[in-house]
Amino acid sequence: MGDENTVLDAASARHLLRRSGFGAAPADVQSIVDRGLTRGQAADELLNFKGKAFKPSGKYIEDSHNKWVKFMVKTKFPLQQKLVLFWHDHFATSNNKVEHPKLMANQIRTLHINCKGNMKTFVKAMNKDAAMVEFLDTVRNHRDIPNENYGRELQELFTLGVYDFAGNPNYKQADIVQIARAFTGWDYEYNSGKPLFHDYDHDFIADFPERGLPIGAPVPPGNKLVYQSTGGFGSGGRDIAANGEGAQEIDTVIDIIFDHKDTDGKSTVARRTARRLLEYFAHPIDNPIPPADIAVVDQVVADSSFDTTWDISALVRAIFVNDAFYETSAGVPYSASTKKSVKWPIDYVVSSVRLMHMKLKSKFQYVDANGGKDIRDQLSNMGQVLLEPPSVFGWDWENSWISSATLLARYEFARELTGARGGGGNAFRPDKLIVNIGGNDVSLVSLSDPDDILLGVTDTLGVTDQLTTAEKNYLIDYLTDGGMNPTLDFSDYDTRNRKLNGLFALVLQSAAYQLH
Amino acid sequence: MAITRRQFLKRTGGLAAGSLLGPGLLGNPFIRKALADTIGDRYFVVLYLDGGNDGLNTVTPVTNGGGSLRTAYDAARTSINLTPGQLGASLIGNDPNTGGQLAIHPGFTSGLKPLYDLGKVAVIQGCGYPDYNLSHEQSRSIWQSADPLGLGLSGGWVGRYLAANYGGSDIPGVNISDSIVGEFKQGTTSVITLERLADFGFPYDYDYGDDTAAKRTAFLGLCNEAHASLQPTVQYIGDSGKATLLSSESYPALDSDYTTDRAAFNDQYDAVGRSLADDLREVAKVIYGVKRGVPNVNARIFQVSNGGYDTHSDQGGADPNGQQYSLHKEVGDSLKVFYDDLADMGIANKVCIVTWSEFSRRIPQNDSGTDHGSQGPMFVIGGGVTGGVYGNHPNIDDAALDSEGNTVYTQSANPFRSTDFRDVYGTILKHWLNMPVGQISTLLPSDVGSPQFYWTAPNFDLGFV
Repeated sequence: MGDENTVLDAASARHLLRRSGFGAAPADVQSIVDRGLTRGQAADELLNFKGKAFKPSGKYIEDSHNKWVKFMVKTKFPLQQKLVLFWHDHFATSNNKVEHPKLMANQIRTLHINCKGNMKTFVKAMNKDAAMVEFLDTVRNHRDIPNENYGRELQELFTLGVYDFAGNPNYKQADIVQIARAFTGWDYEYNSGKPLFHDYDHDFIADFPERGLPIGAPVPPGNKLVYQSTGGFGSGGRDIAANGEGAQEIDTVIDIIFDHKDTDGKSTVARRTARRLLEYFAHPIDNPIPPADIAVVDQVVADSSFDTTWDISALVRAIFVNDAFYETSAGVPYSASTKKSVKWPIDYVVSSVRLMHMKLKSKFQYVDANGGKDIRDQLSNMGQVLLEPPSVFGWDWENSWISSATLLARYEFARELTGARGGGGNAFRPDKLIVNIGGNDVSLVSLSDPDDILLGVTDTLGVTDQLTTAEKNYLIDYLTDGGMNPTLDFSDYDTRNRKLNGLFALVLQSAAYQLH
Repeated sequence: MAITRRQFLKRTGGLAAGSLLGPGLLGNPFIRKALADTIGDRYFVVLYLDGGNDGLNTVTPVTNGGGSLRTAYDAARTSINLTPGQLGASLIGNDPNTGGQLAIHPGFTSGLKPLYDLGKVAVIQGCGYPDYNLSHEQSRSIWQSADPLGLGLSGGWVGRYLAANYGGSDIPGVNISDSIVGEFKQGTTSVITLERLADFGFPYDYDYGDDTAAKRTAFLGLCNEAHASLQPTVQYIGDSGKATLLSSESYPALDSDYTTDRAAFNDQYDAVGRSLADDLREVAKVIYGVKRGVPNVNARIFQVSNGGYDTHSDQGGADPNGQQYSLHKEVGDSLKVFYDDLADMGIANKVCIVTWSEFSRRIPQNDSGTDHGSQGPMFVIGGGVTGGVYGNHPNIDDAALDSEGNTVYTQSANPFRSTDFRDVYGTILKHWLNMPVGQISTLLPSDVGSPQFYWTAPNFDLGFV
C-alpha cells in the first residue's frame, strides 16, 4: 500500500512512464530513481507540461494524420499526447463524415488546449466545435424537426453514461428530446469553423408549447425541463431555460448535466470520467463495475475534488498516486487475477520508434528512408486510424485490438523497424542505442554474453520484468542457435545484424510487449 | 446425443487439432464421423450488410393480394419507389399473409433472381426484435450478440456456437476483415482475420532468410509460453499469435492454388469487379483448401461484409446508377459467382450463407432516401436451402406504423406476426450446424415478457433448411 509520498522504484517508474507516455526510456527511468521521486512528485512533474496547442493542419486528412504521428514521436510532453488521444477517443469524431480536414485539425487543437483543464469548460467548448457540430448532426437539428443525435451522445458518451454505478438509467428519451431542443439553431461558418447561432432556427417554448413534458405531476405546458425522474433533482427536474432561452441554453445544459447525481448521491459525470481515465491509464474494469473498483473511482474523485473543481489535471494526479494505478505494473509471474492492459496501436508505433531512437521520414512517415509502407496504412492495418475513429463510440480497447490481422500488422511494423538498415538519418542503430546495461556503460560491439545482450534489449524496450524465465530462455536459444554458439561476436557485422536486430523484432512481437 | 467435435478431441487426448486433421487423418473414418456429428462436411458464411439496408426496397410488394401492401407502399415511397413494371423481371413468391405478389429489387435480377429460381434462396421477411434500437452501433451489437434485452450474454451468437464446439488450438473461423467481428467474439477458440490470403505471410527478416527457422522457433516458443500464462490477456495474445503464425504458413498458398486450379472462376469474380466478390473469393479459396484436405486449414465458418447501406439521401430506385441498386447488384452478382464456383467444386449443397443488416429503414421516405427503421428481410442462400418466401411482410399501412414511422414487431398471432431474427439463427444452428436444441436454448435464451411483444416462444424450425 502506498500513497503520494511513496518513493518510486524502477519498476513503478517504468510503469508510470509507459502509461503516461510512449514507453519507458531507460534514461528517464534512471532519472526518476536517482532523484528518489515520490509518486506525487513524479506525477506533478509529468503534468506540469506547457505543451503547445498543436494543430495537425493539412490539405488532406492523410497529411494531418501523419503530421500528428510525427509530433507524437518528437514531443517532449508525451502525457499531453496520451491525454489528447484519450479525449479523441472520448469525443470521437471522424473525418469520414466531417470531410473537412481543417475542422478536424481545429478540433484536435481544442483537445490539446483542454486536455488537462476544466472538464466543464471542455464539454462546453466541444458543444460548439465545428467538426462535432457536423459529425453529430447539430447542423441538422432544426426548430421544426429536432435531430436527437447530439442530445443523445452528449449524455451517453461524453458525460453521464446510460446507467449509473447501481445500474439505474441516468436519463430518459424525453431528456434527449429536450436537450436536442437546446441545440437547435447552432451552426458553423464553413471555412473557418467559427460557431454561429441562428435565432430563427432555435426552438423557443412559445412556438412549440406542445413539446413540454407532462411527466408525473401536472406541469405547465411548453417547459424545457429535464431529469424529472433521474439525477437527484426531484420531480421538478431542472430547467434548460433557467438562464433564459436562446444561445445560452447549451451552456445551461452542461451546468445541469454536471450537477447530475447517481442514485446514491455521487456525481455522475465525475464518476464516469474517473472510471474511463482509470481504465485508460490503469486497467480495464468489469461491467457492471465491482464494488472494489467503485471504491477506487470514488477515492480518486474525492482526492482530487474533481466533482466540484472539474480539474482534469488533479484527477489524473490522483490516479497516478493511487495503488490501483500501480497494480498493473506487476512483473511475472502473473496470476489469473493480475490486471493487464493492451497497448493501443498508436502507442505501439510511437513507443517503438521513440525507444529505438528512430525517426519517421517524408510526409508518409516511412520507417525506412528508402520507402516502405505509409505509417497511416500501418496503423490502419493495426486497427487505428487517427482522425477516423470507427464510430462515435471511439475504438474498442483491450483485447479488441488483437486479431490475427492486427497482430500481423504489428509484427510487420516490428520487422520494418528492425530491418531499417539502409543507413541515413533513421536507420536502426542498436550499437548506438545500447550503451548502458544495468547501470554499467557498455560498448555493444564488444558484448558476447547472450544474457547481457538480452538484458540490454529488454531494458531498452522496457519489458525486462514482464518476460518469464522460459520466455527469456527461448530468446537466449535464438541468440545462441540453441546453444550451438554460446557466445556472440558482435564485432562481426553479419552476426550483429542478424541476431541483434532479430532479437529486437522478437521482443517487439512478444505478447509482453503488446501490453503496457 | 451427438458427440461434439470438442468432446471428441478431448476423448482422443491432448493432441493439437491441427496435427490431428492432416490429410492422412481426414481419411480416418473416426474423425470423419466426429466431424459429421457436428456440422458435417458443411460450411457457413455470414454476410453483413453494413449501414442498415432498406428492406422495403429489397423485398417489395408488387400487388395488394388480399391486403393493402402495395397501396401502402405507393403512399410511403414517392420518389424512390419501384413500379410493378420495374419489378417484372425480379418477381419472387407471394406474401404468406396477404397473398400479395412480391419482388426483389431489380438490382438482383442478374444475380440473386436466378438463384431464387433454382430454389436456392430463402427470403425471410420482416426480421426484427423487441424494443428496437435505431443506433447503428447498438442495433448491430444486438444482432451480433443476439441479446436485444441486454441480458449480458457473452460474445457473439456464432462465437458462442464456436466456443461450444471447438477448442483452443482449433481455427474454425475466418473473418475477411481487419478485426474479429462481433458475432464471432468469444474466448475459447481461434478466429483468424485476414483481408487477402496472399498477404497473410508472417513477416520475417528480408535480409537474413537463413535466420527464419530460428526466429520461428523462438516466436512459437514465446506464444506457447504466453498461452501457458495464467493471466487471461497474455494467454489470449499468445493464442492469437500462435494461430496467426500457423495459419500464416498454411493459408497464403491457398491463394496461388486457387488461382491456378480455378482460373475460370477467378476471372468471373474479377468480372463482377466489386469488393464483395473479391471477399467471397477469399472464402472460396479457403473452402477449396479445406475440401482438398490442406493441412492446418480447417475453417468452416466465415464472415464477410459489404458497406454503404446507410442511404439517408440519394438512395435511388430502379435506376441502375442509384446507390441501393448498385449495392444489390453487387450482392446478387457476387453471390451468384460464389454459388456457381461452389457448385463447380461439387459442394454447393454444403455451403449456407445468411445475410443480415443492423436494421431496416423508415417506411415513409424522406426527400431522396430513408432514415433508420426497424424490421427487414434476411436471405439464406445455399444448395441445401429450401427456397421460397418465409415470414410475413410487416404491416406498412400508415395507421399501423409507430410514431417514428417504423413497422411494429409483434409475436402475437395477428396476421402480421413478425419473425424474430433469433428464430432464423436458431433454425440455422439446429438444422444446418446440427446443434442440439438444448444447447441452442442456452445460446439463444428466450425473452421474459408479454408473449405479444417479446420472443417467448422460439421456433427453430422455420423450414428453410
